[in-house]
Amino acid sequence: MAPSLWPALQSRLTDIAADVLGASPDRVEVEFEVIPHGFGFRGGELSTTSLVRGQIPPGCAQEVRVALMRTICDMWCAVTGCSVDELIVSARDRPAPDS
Amino acid sequence: MPYYRCVAPKDAIPLEQRQRVAQAFTDVHCGMTGAPRNFVHVTFAANDQGEFAEPYYIDGGNRAGRPAELKERLLGELRRAFRDITGVPDDQLGGRITEGPASWSMEGGHVLPEPGEEGPEWRGHRVPQHGVVAAAEQSNR
Repeated sequence: MAPSLWPALQSRLTDIAADVLGASPDRVEVEFEVIPHGFGFRGGELSTTSLVRGQIPPGCAQEVRVALMRTICDMWCAVTGCSVDELIVSARDRPAPDS
Repeated sequence: MPYYRCVAPKDAIPLEQRQRVAQAFTDVHCGMTGAPRNFVHVTFAANDQGEFAEPYYIDGGNRAGRPAELKERLLGELRRAFRDITGVPDDQLGGRITEGPASWSMEGGHVLPEPGEEGPEWRGHRVPQHGVVAAAEQSNR
């Protein structure tokens, strides 16, 4: 994926967190990590899969979590042109500070 | 999920060994859990941030719901495979497997099933290949 897409993805992820979770945009952090060709595998073969991993406030209702992941899926595919089969999205509960 | 992130010193593991480790991890995970092969993700990253005490580390993330004994054997087999392929001594290799609910993840536009509840639609899931993996971390603090 071209790094030129990162600003749009960052902006859209922030908007989605605000819309779906009611998060304040200035409290949403987005970081990108590129896994170079030859360093990522799926089913034992070289992969084109992207992984979007998020941490959200604990106690979120499952239907809200699903709505968040689905909205991210739709956005990611629209912005990057990847297929939905090339995308994994997770929205984990943020660990407690002392855990 | 599962997602196995292998951390190693920069340029320490050549492509041929990375490929073999990825295939071995897929074989081990699927052989012990019955999960579809296309579920298994393996990536390699440089341990240049001092992230772990050991120079080599297997950082695994799996769906919750399996017995502790199985998880222990799984990590043991992954460590053995990694050592056999790379030649890394046991005392330089760390590892852990953390877990999260299946319902917290979505693949191919669908929420993941619980372990052992994967239907035929998951087993026939297409596996995109030959390219670049990118990961984004979103944190709502």
